Amino acid sequence: MNVLRQHAEIQFHEELEALKKLDTGARPPNWDLSPSAVVTYLMGGKLSNGFVITPKYIGNQRLMEIAVATLTTDRALLLYGIPGTAKSWVSEHIAAAITGDSTLLIQGTAGTGEEAIRYGWNYAKLLSEGPSQAALVVTPMMKGMQTGRLVRIEELTRISADVQDTLITILSEKTLPVPELNTEIQAEKGFNVIATANNRDKGVNELSSALKRRFNTVILPVPATAEEEVNIVQTRVASSIKTLELPAQLPTLQEIQRIVRIFRELRNGVTEDGRTKIKSPTGTVSTAEAISVVNSGLALAAHFGNGKLNAHDVASGLVGAIVKDPVQDAVVWKEYLENVVKTREEWKDIYRACKEISF
Amino acid sequence: MAIQILGIRHHGVGSARNVLRQLEQFKPDMLLVEGAPEMTEVLSLVGKEGLTPPVAIMVYNQENPKQSSFYPFAEYSPEWTAVRYANQNKIPVRAMDLPAAVSFVKRDAEEAAKEIPGEDEAALQEAPIPVYHRDPLSHLSEAAGFRNSDDWWDHHFESTLTNTDHFEAVHHAMDSLRAEGVVSGLDRENIDREAYMRTIIRQAQNEMYERIAVVCGAWHGPALVELDATAKSDAKILKALPKSKIKVACTWIPWTNSRLSIASGYGAGIYSPGWYEHQWNITDQTEIRWLAKVAATFREKQMDISTAHVIETYRLARSLAVLRNKPFIALDELNEATLSVMCMGDGILLNLVREQLIVGNSMGHVPDDIPKVPLQEDFEQHIKSLRLKLTAVPKTYDLDLRKEGDLERSVFFHRLEIIELPWLSRTASRTKGTFKESWTAEWKPELMIVLIDKAFLGNTIEAAAETLVRKQGTETDKITELARLIQLSIPAQLYQNLDHLLFRINELTSISADIVDLMNAIPRLVDISRYGDVRRSDLSVLNTVVQQLLTKVFVGLPNACYGLDEANSQNMFGLITRVNTGVRLYDNVDTEQQWYDTLHRLLDKHGVNHIILGCVCRLLLDAQQLSEEETERRISFALSSANDPFEVAAWLEGFLGSNGMILLYDNRLWNLMYSWVESLPDDTFTQILALLRRSFSKFEYGERRQIGVRARKGRAVETHQSLTEREGFDAERAAQILPVLKELLGGVE
Repeated sequence: MNVLRQHAEIQFHEELEALKKLDTGARPPNWDLSPSAVVTYLMGGKLSNGFVITPKYIGNQRLMEIAVATLTTDRALLLYGIPGTAKSWVSEHIAAAITGDSTLLIQGTAGTGEEAIRYGWNYAKLLSEGPSQAALVVTPMMKGMQTGRLVRIEELTRISADVQDTLITILSEKTLPVPELNTEIQAEKGFNVIATANNRDKGVNELSSALKRRFNTVILPVPATAEEEVNIVQTRVASSIKTLELPAQLPTLQEIQRIVRIFRELRNGVTEDGRTKIKSPTGTVSTAEAISVVNSGLALAAHFGNGKLNAHDVASGLVGAIVKDPVQDAVVWKEYLENVVKTREEWKDIYRACKEISF
Repeated sequence: MAIQILGIRHHGVGSARNVLRQLEQFKPDMLLVEGAPEMTEVLSLVGKEGLTPPVAIMVYNQENPKQSSFYPFAEYSPEWTAVRYANQNKIPVRAMDLPAAVSFVKRDAEEAAKEIPGEDEAALQEAPIPVYHRDPLSHLSEAAGFRNSDDWWDHHFESTLTNTDHFEAVHHAMDSLRAEGVVSGLDRENIDREAYMRTIIRQAQNEMYERIAVVCGAWHGPALVELDATAKSDAKILKALPKSKIKVACTWIPWTNSRLSIASGYGAGIYSPGWYEHQWNITDQTEIRWLAKVAATFREKQMDISTAHVIETYRLARSLAVLRNKPFIALDELNEATLSVMCMGDGILLNLVREQLIVGNSMGHVPDDIPKVPLQEDFEQHIKSLRLKLTAVPKTYDLDLRKEGDLERSVFFHRLEIIELPWLSRTASRTKGTFKESWTAEWKPELMIVLIDKAFLGNTIEAAAETLVRKQGTETDKITELARLIQLSIPAQLYQNLDHLLFRINELTSISADIVDLMNAIPRLVDISRYGDVRRSDLSVLNTVVQQLLTKVFVGLPNACYGLDEANSQNMFGLITRVNTGVRLYDNVDTEQQWYDTLHRLLDKHGVNHIILGCVCRLLLDAQQLSEEETERRISFALSSANDPFEVAAWLEGFLGSNGMILLYDNRLWNLMYSWVESLPDDTFTQILALLRRSFSKFEYGERRQIGVRARKGRAVETHQSLTEREGFDAERAAQILPVLKELLGGVE
């Protein structure tokens, strides 16, 4: 296969199969795995036969338990959090683990219309034959209902409020009326919805309270400790080296620790020792950004350097990730560079490298 | 002869139910409960009307109440239910543990050992004090895959087994832990304590009690079984204990749920007293009723929570319990489900439930005729003798300090203020004059606990206040703080410590380099030195101190103002104004002159924030230390258009203060500003206009309007001068009112 990125259920096929074999827990209807096996798939662990499941989500297990338990009830799941906190990642893996299919996906945008959620028409057929089943264009939502699978909605809050409202009936009555054909589609057991939304853009299209009531909310936080975050960056970078087939060496732990530290300090507005206050940049500086900084640094090192990640490779990505607003963020970054980075003896290389990049 | 040992978890609801059931079946003729033996007498009050939990037994050293332990009880504490059962059925109850008198002595010895390192080193090495006490149960809970030992205990012992099985299972679990040599954090203490417990059981045996029930922490259970073989070794252990002559007293005091959640005399705090209370009171549909309570709490806070929310929360909680393989829904699941369904994942909202429900705000009550802690007794005596009332409705006391009774009240109030009992608050008196004071009192029941908490400070309110002032005075290294303490001590008539405080000030003044601190203290100290001897003399030493402080400020001020950022400059601006007032009140020509010299130096210094410069300029002008021409030159310089606009605005703010009234009423200042504006060439004026607008925009609208009206009239005329020169002034008639004025002013000759 030559695709750039595999779906989770294909990439982790082996793990899912291994779990399925040993899973003895009760499975809700139409589920491939029992809820506790799903949690194991997400959090990672060693199975009784010694098979190792890699962790997909690094963080608080309780959050994953709430998420999975929600899907066993008849409420839908809303994953909430600032950009880059693994919301879509988690939703993809949950769908993959529960139904073995993470492809029933509706991308929410300001232009998402009702027909993207309910159903559309093949107008040529509609004109020639009149309304009929054959002229109906089936959406992922409809397909999920018909087959009893999980449907994912990305960026729920970007969908305009009137379109969001079409979800209310689907989620509470579990039916999708098709008045044109005088029929309806009733959801099979196992159908549910996982939506993601980011709370930085709150107020774009705030969910109505009627819709809110149909969702159980799980807020995915930024990593609580530096260790956790280093761990996340390391895992993700290692897997992307594999998929991008980069001829580069894995970055050293120190280098990742340093990048994570810069991100954490800027995000929290204070140095790690709690002594110096720092201004925070306007954009979000999430773990996902840290990962992409390392990735782009690795690409630089692979194609223009000696394959080893060094301060110069990191610097360009770093500045680009942090300075989103050329005026305000530039001040923040410069202050951080001069007051914090410069004072650290072992950070001389990155200080010099960053100074060279003008913006 | 039968002995039944009932191992419990302190404050465990399940334990309480099981203990009660077991006692009813076993029908003991003697009940032994874990706790200092001194408590035996007061335990007889359990079940008495008026004693409602949460309450605690305070065990304390009569001579030094600082040495004390608390044994809190909730309605659902197994000890409480056991004792209540015994009292109802006329079964004798005894407390069994190491006597408090002995543990107090031991505690003293340990603290002394900590303070003097080096001495007795061998002994210390032998038994290093563990830094982190690991809960022995955590070994079992970890092995079973639980998050903490509380969960594990709940899972296995609180909700499933019943009766004898339950206690046997607990016993076995603890026995196997102890057999494995698992260390409990309190091991060293436990050897002594368990020896004493055994001795008390043996004593009960010797008194021919046939059926003895022993209620104690589960961990101790296995140690209390073997009585005969340990008799000799126990005697040895007890002999080695330090002798104690401490007189120990016990009393019941009211307690609150939030205090139950703090680690206590049993060494076992609980996190969720409100939840336990709920579990104890409601046996049917506990979880659903709990969620209904949660929903009601949210609704009270104007959150829309429907019945459907409750249903969904319950479903999610149940799914979570199933996912976690738990046989029942615990508080964790309920909380997480509430967070996800009702709070939209927002943890802040959940805190509401935490305070109101999970911890809960129950408050215990103790009948009046129960013996009290000395400090409390002293407090209540004062309340009675000063004819004060403890009411929940705010009550205002207007005191006239010239009256004996009111003065006593004032002194009492000031002392309470020192020990930080938040019962009273000062309110601004309507009349002026130093002999009037107004206080508003608002009593809340939990204030009594706050007071009892302070029992260790001393046996009377006076002694407690003295102790606190002395302690704070010794600990602080801020002169401001010492000045505050002196200011508090004088109206509270606490004179013992004054010398000590003055000595500390003196000491600190000579070493302190913190100009801000010095400057903060000056106004207070000047106040004290002026008014202090109204009540008591011998503050002469204070004058020397003030003098020293001022000198230090004079020397250090210019440098302290150098290079300050905006916030600190604002602060300094205020300080300089206050010190200026202080210096003028101090009324010493030499000092005043020195102060103005300092200000002059400051004025010519570079790198000082403009708000300070403006302020200094104005102070000097007011003190007539700066001629009007000079001032005008400085105004013009500071407000030149080449200056940074922010600096100009800051300078003006310093110079005028932040209100425009001064411009309206001070002709001299008005004329200064007026002639400056007048002198500006048209071009420059247009340039500078923006800056002026900026500064004036801080004034209120009315003030700005008046300033405008005034500006139209032009330069102010010295009106008051023309008044005195007015013709027709009748000196004779004016003289007639002089005697009345004299009378009014208090017979000044």
